[in-house]
Amino acid sequence: MTAPASAQPSAPVMRLLRRLYGLATSRESVSVLVSVLLTLVVGGVLVVINGDNPFVVYRSLFVHAFGSMQNLTNTLAAATPLIFTGLAVGISFRAGVWNIGAEGQLYLGAMGGAIVGVYLTNLWAPMHIALSLAVAMVCGGLWAWIMGFLKTKWNVDEVVTTMMGNYIAIHFTSYLANYPLKPPKAPIGSTDYVQESAQLPQFVPYSTLNAGFVIAIATAVVYWIFYRYTTTGYQMRTVGYNRLFARYAGMPSGRMILWAMFGSGALAGLAGCVEVLGVQYRFVQDMSPNYGFDGILVALLAMNSGPGIVLVAILFGALRSGGLGVERMTNVPSELSIVLTSVLILLVSSRYALVKLFRKERGTRA
Amino acid sequence: MTRQESVPVNAGSDYAVEMRNISKSFGDVKANEDVHLAVRKGSIHCLIGENGAGKSTLMSILYGIIQPDAGEIYVNGRRCVIRNPREANALGIGMVHQHFQLVDSFTVAENVVFGKEPRKGWLTDRRKAAEITRKLSEEYGLKVDPAAKIADLPVGIRQRVELLKALHKGSDILILDEPTAVLTPQETKELFATLRNLVAGGKTVILITHKMEEVMSVSDRVTVLRRGKTVGTMERSECDEHKLSLMMVGRQVEAHLPKPEMPQGKAVLEVSGVKVGGAQGTLSVRGVSFTVREGEIVTIAGVEGNGQSELVEALTGLRPVLEGRVSVGGRDVTNQSPAAIRRAGLAHVPSDRIAMGLSVGQSLEENAVAGHHRMRPFRRGWLMNHREIRKFTESLIGQFDVRCGGSSVAAGTLSGGNMQKLVIAREMSYGARFLLASLPTRGIDIGASELVHKHLIEARNAGTGILVVSTDLDEVFRISDRILVMYNGEVVGEFRADATTREELGLYMIGARRQQEAIAGGEAI
Amino acid sequence: MLETLFNLHTLEAAFRIATPLLLAALGGSLTHKAGIFNIGLEGMMLIGAFSAVSFSYATNSWVVGLLGGLLFGLLTGLLFGLFTIDFRTDVIIIGTALNLLALGATTYLLRAIFQVRAGLSSPRIDAIPDVHIPFLEHLGFLKVLSGQSVLTYGGWILIVLLHVVIFRTPFGMHLRAAGEHPEVLAAAGISLRRVRYAAAAGCGALCGLSGAHLALGYLNQFVINITGGQGFIALAAVLFGQGNPVSVFLVTLLFGLADGISSNLQVLGVSGYFSLMVPYILTIVMLTIFAIRSGRKKSAIRA
Repeated sequence: MTAPASAQPSAPVMRLLRRLYGLATSRESVSVLVSVLLTLVVGGVLVVINGDNPFVVYRSLFVHAFGSMQNLTNTLAAATPLIFTGLAVGISFRAGVWNIGAEGQLYLGAMGGAIVGVYLTNLWAPMHIALSLAVAMVCGGLWAWIMGFLKTKWNVDEVVTTMMGNYIAIHFTSYLANYPLKPPKAPIGSTDYVQESAQLPQFVPYSTLNAGFVIAIATAVVYWIFYRYTTTGYQMRTVGYNRLFARYAGMPSGRMILWAMFGSGALAGLAGCVEVLGVQYRFVQDMSPNYGFDGILVALLAMNSGPGIVLVAILFGALRSGGLGVERMTNVPSELSIVLTSVLILLVSSRYALVKLFRKERGTRA
Repeated sequence: MTRQESVPVNAGSDYAVEMRNISKSFGDVKANEDVHLAVRKGSIHCLIGENGAGKSTLMSILYGIIQPDAGEIYVNGRRCVIRNPREANALGIGMVHQHFQLVDSFTVAENVVFGKEPRKGWLTDRRKAAEITRKLSEEYGLKVDPAAKIADLPVGIRQRVELLKALHKGSDILILDEPTAVLTPQETKELFATLRNLVAGGKTVILITHKMEEVMSVSDRVTVLRRGKTVGTMERSECDEHKLSLMMVGRQVEAHLPKPEMPQGKAVLEVSGVKVGGAQGTLSVRGVSFTVREGEIVTIAGVEGNGQSELVEALTGLRPVLEGRVSVGGRDVTNQSPAAIRRAGLAHVPSDRIAMGLSVGQSLEENAVAGHHRMRPFRRGWLMNHREIRKFTESLIGQFDVRCGGSSVAAGTLSGGNMQKLVIAREMSYGARFLLASLPTRGIDIGASELVHKHLIEARNAGTGILVVSTDLDEVFRISDRILVMYNGEVVGEFRADATTREELGLYMIGARRQQEAIAGGEAI
Repeated sequence: MLETLFNLHTLEAAFRIATPLLLAALGGSLTHKAGIFNIGLEGMMLIGAFSAVSFSYATNSWVVGLLGGLLFGLLTGLLFGLFTIDFRTDVIIIGTALNLLALGATTYLLRAIFQVRAGLSSPRIDAIPDVHIPFLEHLGFLKVLSGQSVLTYGGWILIVLLHVVIFRTPFGMHLRAAGEHPEVLAAAGISLRRVRYAAAAGCGALCGLSGAHLALGYLNQFVINITGGQGFIALAAVLFGQGNPVSVFLVTLLFGLADGISSNLQVLGVSGYFSLMVPYILTIVMLTIFAIRSGRKKSAIRA
């Protein structure tokens, strides 16, 4: 008889990888631990290539992230934009759509907020800040809304449109920062400094931690309340879980998706605006080190939960600012933190995928 | 009336396929129980039965998609074990599925040779592929244009390409699963001519169907299955509509659940001249008219695939109504949104509880409140009132005996029967005037089914008008006041439940009879 | 004014700019046809660029550099395939994580191994040479076709090669079936897994070549984030051209022209940034048109 059709030849490397992987995904808590360990190993290899001792470097990383009040505030400052973008992406994921365009929406929000901050004068500070934030949210929100409209009306894939939208927004804001809005003596594309009335107050000297962090936490609280207690939040989430069910039950699924995209873009815009008003005090081109894309990873790791996003954002912030500190003390490049983050995501998201598969095989009995 | 097939001991070359004592269970369900099938070489053998009779299971076993729990298969007289479709192909068994396995952007020739492409060095030899296709096409009388793109071809031709594929693989035994479901009458005629050609050339055809006209016009022998067992096998010459119908549905004393006589109430659902589209441009519902009134249960009976699911989708706002009118509670709801139709008074228990009836990732509470989540006790301004929602959910769980780990567990953790109970509980809680229940007891055990029926009758007694779609004649007779039979996209018969027998229904279900008044949409009986 | 915008110099620049886009987009076409939504072209290109520079630096040979870029691109493609095919991770996540990983790892290694801050440039890095075709240079405007990089000509050859592979070979048929109707493969006993792995590996290899060209044929150095988003322009080209090599080529040429014009536009006083936006805007518009058209074809179940 013929041989079973399912046999596949695997190289020994594949088998080893499979075994390693199987180990990493056998049981929930163990697998998270193993994922973290594997990540540290990969990072450790990189550290060795640089000629340093991994244990020393990791200890230094931890210290620079949490070791002192100063370091802690740096970590929280680094986490602030990630909280916003994580929540932004979380809104879209919960509605069942993929907003990959947080980066571009961030820039639009930053520019909108910067314009309000620079050109409006003689305003009472809280009013000025509030107006700036509001305009930022509208800028980011509208941009995302357009992609949502294309999706609900003609089923244009939102992954592609939001992705392309990123670069349109980035180039457009760079244009503004290099031509119409550029102050004469600025070396690179940027706007003027915002008025003092628009600047977010700082908490601690020598640190960039500012009121933006408070706004971020407040946003996370609103996010949590919205999904847990409001009817619209319930409808939005139901659309994300099962759009057919939502339609069947009479929910306006298209409208929910549009609102979700708007909200998602709005929060990404907030991220940019807070960065402008609280850290840079002006719009600068290329000011975002991939905050928008990191937000995707944050939301994913935190499974879109509000408190989870805050925690994961702080974790990422810790890695980032810790990495910067490590680079100052040793000469290990700070990009180590980017590598650690992305490897961790790869390993952990595979685990999630396998757990989902596993549950489906056990079967929802029906 | 059953007849055991007497199988010759040295089943020599007379039979292309013999399946003996085939049994297969899925959990508690016995899909095939000691089934016998003997198909003579060079014949067209029809396999007929209702939904759930076990026809598809049996053919899946023959084609190697699933393995039998017990029994033997003989192909051309030799005992075989068929572990997967590749092995089936190697034995000369080919299958034409209802959903074609064709790549739309390829040409006919490319699809036919796919997997065994003729080569010229590194490249595909296109000319050879076209030649192979042309030769096969001529040899078997299946006219196709090798260079045509599948995407441009009508369904009937696509089916021919599927047949050519099977023939190219060297199949002598062809299994066709409800092949006329997607064909126009003209295409059906052409298909039958093709099948007769193939058989004249020595091929063997097994045809799964539920339509009597197919049996009568094209078969040489018929095997009838019912509830997983072989009821009997007949030569075509011994067939008539009554025998077929009786074998297919059986004869038994009907158990009607006791219901009080209800006065004729107002119409809660009026369907008039409704036409609905189907796959690839055909009509799945060809002009249907009927009425459902307060305090009655009307059941649409029939074999699945005769337009029932498309009709349900159209009535509930999930599929466009091409022609005709639908009104619920006196309001015209044709082509309105599901929300608007619900506002007019519709409650809907869908046929697929996992894809549509529930959101399995969310909690029971979130599932229970769907549909009336914007209404007063559950909502206070912008906020949801979780306490009320929990109370409500717990009361539903209690009333309908939903076994679960509490109201906040995920709906996906429930068993099938309990999921269905939850869906029904929720849909009945709206106090809707019109309830549409599609395949309400599919895939759930007897205890849960009885509970479902009990609740349906209670609702009916309280004045709700209920439309049920069912493929289970036991259920149809237990709960219905009136029965409509749907065949080929039309309502072909309308009956009072206490004035008909399943044998009579069977005749309509296989297309042997049609009531002119029912088709015209009048109030028959 | 039109002369300032469109002259032979622009055309020549367009070919040059389009080359890395073309190579990466050809790679992306493989995964696109196989039904894998690969947004990690950027990362694969970056890894290819870094590997190519490292190997060229180490051996002072552009050929070895090129092969290094191709090899590491291929390995990255296999890694991508592993996570997306066998581990079944969501393909968007893998793409995003891969892009970030590539950025982080190449920057880190640049600094760690070569001990430089922002970029590596050195006489030890051997660049990909240009090829001059003498008889073309006397044929009027056809002289733009001469003097292009080896990889540009290689890219043009690859267009034809890939077109033949995808549309005229059995493998190509399997590839297209994998993207359109995977069940057909299973029914024919062909391993979907193997076809997709092959596509991922091929895509990685071509992206590696693309990155090699960026680093060795263009700037002759490696700077941090040398790809600068070109992987996404390549993705736009794949989607716009629907994964067909010839269409993809024309689209990359269009994008190259738009980029080439951008510096000329500045001479005229219009910001070059607007022509940089062109690829992305065009892609969104085209995809919307495609979606409207295919929506009209299908029968509507409103859900």
